[in-house]
Amino acid sequence: MRSFWPIYKREMFAFFVTPLAWVLIVAFLVVQGMHFFLVIDHLARQVDIAGDETPLTAFFGNTVLLYLVLFMLVPPMTMRAFAEERRSGTVETLMSGPVSSTAVVLAKYAAALTTYIVMWVPTVLYLVILARTGALDRRAAASAYLGILLVGGAYLALGTCASSLARSQFIAMIWTALALLVLFIVGMGEFVTREGTLVHDVCVHVSVWGHMNDFASGIVDSRHLVFYGTLIVLPLFIATRAVEAWRWA
Amino acid sequence: MSNLTKRYGARVAVDNVSFEVGRGEVVGFLGPNGAGKTTTLRILAGVLGPTSGSVTVAGHDLVHASLEARRHIGYMPEAVPLYPEMRVVEYLRFRAELKLVARSQRARFVDEAMDKAGVLEVAHRTIDHLSKGFRQRVGIADAILAKPPVIVLDEPTAGLDPNQIRHARALVRELGREHTVVVSTHILSEVEACATRVLLIHQGRLVAQGSTSDIRAMRQAVAVEVTVRGNAAAAHEALRASAGVVSVQRIETLEMVQPFARFRATFEGALSAEDQQGATERIVSAVVGAGLGVSEVRACGGSLEDVFASLTKDTGAPPE
Repeated sequence: MRSFWPIYKREMFAFFVTPLAWVLIVAFLVVQGMHFFLVIDHLARQVDIAGDETPLTAFFGNTVLLYLVLFMLVPPMTMRAFAEERRSGTVETLMSGPVSSTAVVLAKYAAALTTYIVMWVPTVLYLVILARTGALDRRAAASAYLGILLVGGAYLALGTCASSLARSQFIAMIWTALALLVLFIVGMGEFVTREGTLVHDVCVHVSVWGHMNDFASGIVDSRHLVFYGTLIVLPLFIATRAVEAWRWA
Repeated sequence: MSNLTKRYGARVAVDNVSFEVGRGEVVGFLGPNGAGKTTTLRILAGVLGPTSGSVTVAGHDLVHASLEARRHIGYMPEAVPLYPEMRVVEYLRFRAELKLVARSQRARFVDEAMDKAGVLEVAHRTIDHLSKGFRQRVGIADAILAKPPVIVLDEPTAGLDPNQIRHARALVRELGREHTVVVSTHILSEVEACATRVLLIHQGRLVAQGSTSDIRAMRQAVAVEVTVRGNAAAAHEALRASAGVVSVQRIETLEMVQPFARFRATFEGALSAEDQQGATERIVSAVVGAGLGVSEVRACGGSLEDVFASLTKDTGAPPE
């Protein structure tokens, strides 16, 4: 595992020295800024505050905007991880060093996750604005960010896995986007299946939409934690095995 | 390396290859393209796993103590893949850390490797902007970076110009003083220029091995081709009479302003290189003595193809 650190540093270098990370971050912040504006504008126009919707729940849950931007941004963040190294052949020099497959996978994943977190950090400013102009439930905010971290973590793990299996960056990107969409749509099945059936229960259990709504309202459900834990560990494990398998191809 | 076999599905890329490389040897891995050189070297470098057989590097088994074994090898793949967005010195620092060079020694090791490989002048250039020759040298710098006892270079001169080739060969020879070096190539003269021992591989099999002089002996000419101006029959007679020649064959007759004829004079099998030289000189003087003109003398055989042809005659498979 000693090779984790140098690979992590190189991945971060590759992210931020090439325009990719900056392009993604700028695109992300533009969309999130618009999103925040819409939410605030919408709430400000309401004469009587109906129900329990707060800017926080509206920003992090019950909105498709959050997922749209993740679907667009996560695949390009992870597509390069392994596919690029395999295409250019650098994977050969990498793997000829004393590095373990686990360290390689974790380092690349950690670098993507760090970039993801960096992407979200400026949005804390929105909370500052909210706290200045009204009451902010700090614990709900923390829970919402935990949700963001878990959903992003799972998405990036799926992307890393796809990159380790795919031959080219483009294929990795398509697979990742497809996996994220399918997961999301299955979750949406909550609204179209009959309550009480097994299919409905499954849909509810995997619904990223539902999870984020909970997190945004300050509910940290241990089932969600287990779900995302699995969704992070399993793809990363598969990626490790895939990296190991190149040796025996 | 013993009884190494690598299969890709039904295709056997490397077939039961065993060899040993001692400390301080420069071993040339020679074979035509597609012979299994790169596959063997990739297994040796720990990038690929063998289907069967075992590889031991500096006492560490490459499958069971893979990380430990890989610490003792510096490997440069054929295409010299590098990260294009990094500067040379950044890349080498990253590689040094990856290869577990102690922090206190990293800067010194990187400097020494850059100095040896001759890339100091481009240390702060982005790899993307380097010429092929410099990229190759950065690859070599990376291979020698952690001062591993074993260095594996896959076609270190591929794609270089003659000047760079000479530089690369000199570098390989120099590395041989401190490290065990395994170099692959499909160029025979390259092995002679820098290796102390040669392994010939053909269709995944080790067909011969020996010192460089053994291989040189193997590639000695089997015949000379002589182009003669004048009476073809007289020339034929003069060639027949020369000592050391067993048979003479007329290859073609050219009727230009003057008559020319090309002959192939085959030497006796057991001639040494010096005897051959003497025989060639006698052939020329015999032809000249007969009042004919010699316009061209060329040694036949001795190319890598001929060596492989003679080695693989039994299997009946022609080399590429």
